[in-house]
Amino acid sequence: MKNKKVFIIVWLAVVVLLGVLSVVVGSPGRAETVQETMRDAVLHETGQISLFGLKDVNPGLISAFTVTGILLVLAALIRIFAIPRFKMVPGRFQMLVEQAVGLFDNLAKNNSPWRHKFLGVYLFAAGAYIFVGTVFELFGVQAVTTAGHSITLPAPLSDVNGAICIGCLSYLVILSGGIAGNGVGGIGKTLKEFSLPISMSFRLFGALLSGLLVTELVYYYIHLSFVLPVAVGVMFTLLHALIQTYVLTMLTALYYGEVSEPSHKEKKAKKAKSAA
Amino acid sequence: MNIPLNIDWQQILLHLFNFAILAGGLYLLLFKPVKAFMEKRESYYKNIDAEAQKKLQDAEGLKDSYARRMQEADEEIAARKAQAQQEMERAREASLQSARDEAAQILDKARTASAQEHDRMLRDTQKELVEIATAAAEKVLKGGQGDPYEQFLTAAKRGEPNA
Repeated sequence: MKNKKVFIIVWLAVVVLLGVLSVVVGSPGRAETVQETMRDAVLHETGQISLFGLKDVNPGLISAFTVTGILLVLAALIRIFAIPRFKMVPGRFQMLVEQAVGLFDNLAKNNSPWRHKFLGVYLFAAGAYIFVGTVFELFGVQAVTTAGHSITLPAPLSDVNGAICIGCLSYLVILSGGIAGNGVGGIGKTLKEFSLPISMSFRLFGALLSGLLVTELVYYYIHLSFVLPVAVGVMFTLLHALIQTYVLTMLTALYYGEVSEPSHKEKKAKKAKSAA
Repeated sequence: MNIPLNIDWQQILLHLFNFAILAGGLYLLLFKPVKAFMEKRESYYKNIDAEAQKKLQDAEGLKDSYARRMQEADEEIAARKAQAQQEMERAREASLQSARDEAAQILDKARTASAQEHDRMLRDTQKELVEIATAAAEKVLKGGQGDPYEQFLTAAKRGEPNA
């Protein structure tokens, strides 16, 4: 009991001492102002990273490759070690994997019962990418910019190019559903929603960028760097990950189902044919 | 042309390239095998369910057939019972009738026998009466001489030499 008290007192003393020192000592000076930091977080004009010496790219692209690598390695490990041991009555891990696959597959089935095989695969991949990509920023993986600064890799979709890629790709998937389901009529149906790629892209970009900016802001000031990052970093990031995954996959599934639904004229013609 | 927000088509294409690799890899490594396993399990339980349903239907059919058989057996038992009752009635009637007939026959025989006995006794009596009367008449006819044998016996008693 006495040892425990001594430990707590020493521990608290060390924590307080380190806290005071970190505030009092200060830093050698900032390389950029908060405005510059936040502007760079949005535009990546200076904080770029070299892609194998071929081209300077935004850190988001490096994050995207890293996330893809992590996901594929994880998937390969699951494929090699877990899936062959799957049982009829699932354990916890098997249940988790099945739930992840079933969630997106059912989302596709429920929203587009007439055509959902490809949609299920796309939603699963996009969902996994957005969720893991958003949570990825929590791990604080470091990279070196072309200017020699060390930066933390952001979420891939906080890069406007990544967000535009996923937004436009989702729109193309919806368009493909329209063509597969209704031919030329499907193209018309999809083109009616011409604002979708922009809204999807910038919704993702805005949501993830706002998280990034809040985190940048919090870490910029040392006084805000205690306790608060736990809530800001973890809670906001996790919420973002869940919400953005749900929103993009749900919207894609919804529009896909809408444009790929066989038109009533075709149904009537089929019925008349079968009646004849 | 400067695109706002530092949008770069090449980087968008690189993101697309990255996502294509990810989607294909996840499909081959995770989505397809997991879904195949889930479908296999679904079909396994569907088969079990179908078999159970079939067995249930068979059992229901058996139950119905047994119920029908039980009903038929009950009806047969009732019919046989009624038939046995009727046969028993008939047998009872028959045995009663035969008993009545036998009794009548016995009575007739008894009556006949009694009449015959009566006649025989009457004849015997008449015969005896005739014999008695005959004997009495002979006795009367012989008078005081009496029976020679009697006479001999009497003489012997008296010690007569000519006896």
